[in-house]
Amino acid sequence: MCAQTETLDTEPDHDATTISLDGLTKRYGDVTANDAVSFDVGAGEIFGYLGPNGAGKTTTIRLLLGLIKPTSGSAAVLGADIRDRRALTAVKANIGYLPDSLGFEERQTGRQVLDYFARMRGDERREELLELFHPPLDKRVETYSHGNKRMLGIVQAFMHDPDLAILDEPTSGLDPLKQDRMHAFLEEERDAGKTIFFSSHVLSEVQRVCDRVGIIRNGGLVALEDVDDLLKRSGKRVRVQLAEPVDESAFVTSEMIDVEIIDATVRFTYTGKPAELLEYLVQFAVEDVDISDPQLDDIFKHYYGDDSPSGAG
Amino acid sequence: MTAILRVESAKLVRSSLVLTGLFALLSAFFFVVFPAFAEEAALIEEAFPAFLAGLLGIEELHTIEGFVGGYVFSVIWVLFAGIYFAYAAGGLIAGDVRARRMDLLLSNPVSRESVVLQKVAALWVPLVALNIGLFVVVYAAAAAIGETLDLVSLGVAHLLTVPYLLVCAGIGILFSVTLDRVESAQAGALGLVFVLWLIEGLSETAPEYDWIGIASPSRYYDPSAILVHEEYALADAAVLLAAFLALLGIALFVFVRRDI
Repeated sequence: MCAQTETLDTEPDHDATTISLDGLTKRYGDVTANDAVSFDVGAGEIFGYLGPNGAGKTTTIRLLLGLIKPTSGSAAVLGADIRDRRALTAVKANIGYLPDSLGFEERQTGRQVLDYFARMRGDERREELLELFHPPLDKRVETYSHGNKRMLGIVQAFMHDPDLAILDEPTSGLDPLKQDRMHAFLEEERDAGKTIFFSSHVLSEVQRVCDRVGIIRNGGLVALEDVDDLLKRSGKRVRVQLAEPVDESAFVTSEMIDVEIIDATVRFTYTGKPAELLEYLVQFAVEDVDISDPQLDDIFKHYYGDDSPSGAG
Repeated sequence: MTAILRVESAKLVRSSLVLTGLFALLSAFFFVVFPAFAEEAALIEEAFPAFLAGLLGIEELHTIEGFVGGYVFSVIWVLFAGIYFAYAAGGLIAGDVRARRMDLLLSNPVSRESVVLQKVAALWVPLVALNIGLFVVVYAAAAAIGETLDLVSLGVAHLLTVPYLLVCAGIGILFSVTLDRVESAQAGALGLVFVLWLIEGLSETAPEYDWIGIASPSRYYDPSAILVHEEYALADAAVLLAAFLALLGIALFVFVRRDI
């Protein structure tokens, strides 16, 4: 009764393309939610799909799953053209999906939800996943917290051991410990040859787990690169509180950009290695240091210019 | 693949049982008044406005068959159950789409056609619960007041509710795949079934209005004819089944092509 996936469980081929988008476009009237988006995701990689809220990430995912039809362009998922409903339905036995807003049958218990999906696509990894993520299975979903719902969503997305997982903001609502656990889990899956399509608006998360990243803004793909390259270019946002005002020329190095000095407080983006920055700072009378990730919007501004494809977010 | 059918069926159990209980109570109430009613039936029949008599399809009110056909079946099945099926079917798809349950459901290897068909098939629960429950209640209640109903006629009267209620469900599912809000889909479907029922009643009042009831499902199900005259209009039932299949076909056509 449940769809078996043996036929598709071949050894993953790292050169193979798991997802391929070709000029994928979705318009709602005057609003272009996805504007000619093209990229490939290879088998066995964690691909980060990064963009601010409302950029069109969920639209792309819903196009890939055949929930909405493209206005133009196309895409293939696990070899199935998304415009071919039959083929796409068949490959879904081998796809795990974690939506951004989780629509469960609220009156069912967590266990009933998993049983329900298990009947449609199997659950050979359910127990293993429930050791990592443990929503209260005997309670009704309507009583679940945001984090519990997300954990239930993670379990259902992976329990049938899919070759491809499409995750839309997978860690939102999870506490930091569970987020770390999720990141580690995704890396293990990747190492086992699974492909992960991971959408997020949190840069640090994408930096941490993804191999490659596509950045979407206002419906258009603005960058597609290795995470290492992105890391090099994005840097860290730093705020240094000094004991007394400092002269700009005495303090600023070539790795510091966007420097802003107000009295004894210096703010800048550091593009070098954090350890070197700390070594450098000890020579000053530092009272406080705050190092954080830059805002996505800052990255867009600095590295991709402010010209964006037309359309709304 | 019957996972959706199982879950959807389970969701309908409670409301079906509650509804069966309510209709049983209502039937019992009708039967309590029948003995007194039968004595005055001739008077009542004469005093009845033609429109109301047409709505209920009243004939031979002083007999138990005429009473059951004209009151119990007309009110409970044609009107109330019809409205319930339109309402229940109206909630099958629209609510899931709006609450994003459909996203998760369609991430399974299941086609959109299968989703709709399994959800509609789950209506077997109220169909069976109501028919069996009310068959027993009506037969027992008639016996309790010293009347007997022909078992075959009563059985056919029940059986032929099925195509009628399926058409009401077909109207509901069509609203449910078309409209975004579950409230609108349900209100639209039950409103339409009610209006069609009213129109059919109006069409019975005069021969020159006869044609306006042609599109009403209630035109094709006449419990009084079955119970009083033992006329089993199988051709009418076939018309209803064809209409149901057509409505379902259109609903599938729409749902398979729309954005969710």
